[in-house]
Amino acid sequence: MELVTPGIGLIFWMTLSFGIVLYVLGKFAWKPILSTIKERESYIANSIRHSKKIHRELEELDATKEKMLQQTRNKADEMLKQAKAGGEDIIQKAHQQARKEADQIIESAKNSILAERKAAEREIRQQIVRLSIDVAQKVIREEFKDVEKKNQYINKLLEDIQLN
Amino acid sequence: MIGSQGRTCKLLCTRKPFALLLSVFVFFLMGFTSVHAAESHSEDNVKDFDAGKVIIDHILDSYDWHIADYGDKHLSIPLPVILNYKGEWYFFLSSKFHHGHDAYKDFRIAKEGPKKGKIIKVLDDGVTPDPEAAFLLDLSITKNVFSLIIASILLSVLLISVGRNYSHCGFKRAPRGISAFLEPLILFVRDDIARAAIPENKVDRFLPYLLTLFFFIFFNNLLGLVPFFPGGANVTGNISITLTLAGFTFFMLHFSANKEYWKHIFNTPGVPVWLKLPIPLMPIIEIVGVFIKPIVLTLRLFANISAGHMIILGFVSLIFVMGSSNHIAGFAIAPLSVIFVIFMNFLELLVAFIQAYVFTFFSAIFFGMAVPQEHH
Repeated sequence: MELVTPGIGLIFWMTLSFGIVLYVLGKFAWKPILSTIKERESYIANSIRHSKKIHRELEELDATKEKMLQQTRNKADEMLKQAKAGGEDIIQKAHQQARKEADQIIESAKNSILAERKAAEREIRQQIVRLSIDVAQKVIREEFKDVEKKNQYINKLLEDIQLN
Repeated sequence: MIGSQGRTCKLLCTRKPFALLLSVFVFFLMGFTSVHAAESHSEDNVKDFDAGKVIIDHILDSYDWHIADYGDKHLSIPLPVILNYKGEWYFFLSSKFHHGHDAYKDFRIAKEGPKKGKIIKVLDDGVTPDPEAAFLLDLSITKNVFSLIIASILLSVLLISVGRNYSHCGFKRAPRGISAFLEPLILFVRDDIARAAIPENKVDRFLPYLLTLFFFIFFNNLLGLVPFFPGGANVTGNISITLTLAGFTFFMLHFSANKEYWKHIFNTPGVPVWLKLPIPLMPIIEIVGVFIKPIVLTLRLFANISAGHMIILGFVSLIFVMGSSNHIAGFAIAPLSVIFVIFMNFLELLVAFIQAYVFTFFSAIFFGMAVPQEHH
């Protein structure tokens, strides 16, 4: 029976000590501990939220980067294509130009060759004529050294003329 | 500036609160036991070992703290006796009773009768209880009170040092040492007890009480399992202690109860009218329930912890019961007893936690009923 009979003394001391413990712990232990835990929790929650935001931003940034890269690539391709086309054009033009110039050069060369030939032909002809005349002179002079022959020939010539 | 702050923090964080606790233990042990260690004592040498008496003596409170016997010498700490009889105060040490054999100033510890084990007023012969004794107010520092005070100091020192760590080192430092051990328990009480049972916006009001309750019961339960001084007192297995704890819960509950709670008791909603009028059946049941709640809290903790102590002591006593008839039987039973005692101690560690949890959880549930959400 004494086991289940509460004693006044023990209840009194228990009330006193538990009351003091309750007050002291509430003031000096639970308050700092709970507020620190709460602070930490809100800090962690904020950090997670923040990191999520950053992650999202990073993703956006990544997408933008990808887009810009693609654009740049396209642009470069286009420029390359343009450059290629432009180069071909220039080469073609240069070809044409060169051909034209070559043609001109050939033409003028032909012309000058022709002119030279003509000049040379004329020279040769003059030479031939002069030589022929010289030969003729010599031959004539030789022929007519003999007076007889000369007369004979003159006579003949005369005869021919009369006959005419 | 930041550097010096960080150093102070480190200094405080690495400080060991246990060094202080240990010195408190040692102080108590040295201070009290040595003085009265040599107190001789002549008792008729009882050969028979009375297990039931030993167990009940342990379970009950006492006026001195018995530590050990050596031959026929008792090693015990005398504790202060504080009495008020007819408006007059008496202060003296319990050693004046000579372990209950003598009377002092016409007071003695009753050996039998309804007040057995308690201090009673006796007649001049020092034996016969005074038949006309007036009410005797006994506020003695008994074994349980002394253990309670030690536990309260240890618990306060421990938790305040943890609290200081928290407030000095801020929230960016992960808990270390004793804080790392206590924080999961604190979070357990907050998240799984308080927040589970009490509406979200009212939790903060009850949380310090629930935390104190949990750690107080848990700490005293554990201290009760330590077989030697300053543990070993059956504090949480004493009905006065559990009754007081339940009383705290009861008063906190009714001081913070809102209109809904009282309406629920006197005019329970959703119940047919004939249960309330003309015989107020429901109100009677509800009012009985109001008082049954703290009684159940009281009895559950008291019975669980006392039973654990009894079983452990029973197994230990078995050795001596067997040994008193035959030495060989005593030694033969000893290993088995020790194994059972070890097993029971592990079980009691679990019970120490579970009972602290259950008491706190039921308190939280009652608080949750006292402050229901305004809408249903």
